[in-house]
Amino acid sequence: MIEFSNVGLRYGNGPEILRDLTFSVEPGSFHFLTGPSGAGKTSLLRLLLLSLKPSRGQVTMFGEDVSDLTHDRLLQMRRHIGIVFQEFRLLDHLTTFENVALPLRVLGQPESEYRPNVTELLEWVGLGERMNALPSLLSGGEKQRAAIARAVIARPKVLLADEPTGNVDPDLSSRLVHLFAELNRTLGMTIILATHELPLLDKFNYPRMLLSKGELVIHD
Amino acid sequence: MIERIRSLIPPRKGAAPIVPEKSVAGRTLLLLITIMSFLSAVTLGGVVLVQKSAIAWSSDVGREVTIQIRPVEGEVMESNLRTAVSLAQSTPGVASARALTIEESQALLEPWLGAGLDLTAIEIPRLVVVQLADPVDADIEGLERNLGAINGASLNTHAAWRQQLNTMAGTIVVSGLLVLILIGAATVLAIVFATRGAMATNREIVDVLHYIGASNKFIAGEFQGRFLSIGLQGGLVGTVAALLFFAAVGTAAGGMLSSEAGAQVGVLFGRFALGLAGIIGIAAVVPVIAGLTAITSRVTVRRFLAETS
Repeated sequence: MIEFSNVGLRYGNGPEILRDLTFSVEPGSFHFLTGPSGAGKTSLLRLLLLSLKPSRGQVTMFGEDVSDLTHDRLLQMRRHIGIVFQEFRLLDHLTTFENVALPLRVLGQPESEYRPNVTELLEWVGLGERMNALPSLLSGGEKQRAAIARAVIARPKVLLADEPTGNVDPDLSSRLVHLFAELNRTLGMTIILATHELPLLDKFNYPRMLLSKGELVIHD
Repeated sequence: MIERIRSLIPPRKGAAPIVPEKSVAGRTLLLLITIMSFLSAVTLGGVVLVQKSAIAWSSDVGREVTIQIRPVEGEVMESNLRTAVSLAQSTPGVASARALTIEESQALLEPWLGAGLDLTAIEIPRLVVVQLADPVDADIEGLERNLGAINGASLNTHAAWRQQLNTMAGTIVVSGLLVLILIGAATVLAIVFATRGAMATNREIVDVLHYIGASNKFIAGEFQGRFLSIGLQGGLVGTVAALLFFAAVGTAAGGMLSSEAGAQVGVLFGRFALGLAGIIGIAAVVPVIAGLTAITSRVTVRRFLAETS
């Protein structure tokens, strides 16, 4: 599903942030992406999200070399990728329901069509009662669950998560990773979850991709 | 006041707008577009009034020529007047011809010489007013030729006056259109700056939309929707204000027309009646301003996205 071959990334004329990354990710797998701060986790996630192009090497996603993609094709491929951020990035003026429904609105679906699906998903992530609340009224855990629901509502093939547990307490972190695991198991979604919380890595026995100084040191 | 008017507009049903209403520099831009719409509508109305008056003046003046007969020693004025009237009446295209009486001629001189003077002792030039049935087909040259037989007679067709009038009206109309173009350009520039400001303010929303797979076209459409709404509201308020302005000025002018000065204003500027065409023209400012706002914002957003993505 995802293949990196000797991929390097630099911003402008700066030094290489990522070097010689070679790995593949199978459909339906769950990977932890870990490493110290500044190791390049976010840059790698941005490559996976197709918001950056590699400076060198080849990235193949869903069987296509991403370096040759047109803008429209890139957009189509990005719709197969969901993303969850550490800082949630919910739109403050929209309710939980409207935030979660956003990807479907972007796809042009009418509200009458997506309302049952969004409601069902919100209930599944435990936000059925908070559907009409604005993000400012949600707790950190609720915000992150809303962000996860938004990332998966359009049934992407790949779900990327950039430090999704960074702003919540350890107990909630564990529950959030359980949620990702459930998505992986029930929907067969490929998940790459970036975190530097070692207890989580120990608790959940998923393959690890360890980045250090821009290089992939371990890839289980 | 604008807020009060906005509150009268029913809220949009369905999903909330993705671009928050308050973040699009709303109030300032709305005020600016209202002012621009008002200026555009007033300029357009002014142009319509001037053009209408110019056409009316030109038409009135063009339907009349004047024969002037200067007193010449050895000539009998009354006889020359009768000859001139007769010549005019026999000219093709002339509807009527009438010599002004001595009292009417004296009345014409009153503004310069004052009232109450006895002018019977002085020989003054006399006029024959000739009304044309059809200014195009009237044989003015033939009349001028025939008048050569009357000593001291000359024909005034007011051509120079009409030409000057048309030039002046044309200049005002062209100036008005130029002002309209400048207002349009200023509006476009203001919208460009407002849109870029809104894009910068809403950068987070744009990024999120990009991450969830929204196309530039979709994002531009969302911003365009907000700006179209602002353009419609501003255009409507500005145009209604302009129509009220013309109605108020028309009413005030109507009151003035009873006096002599008011009558002169009425002769010069008409009765401030825009007519149906003028009102439709001014009403057209609303969709034009709204369209201009929407298109400008859409182009600006797409350029901004192309630059940043």
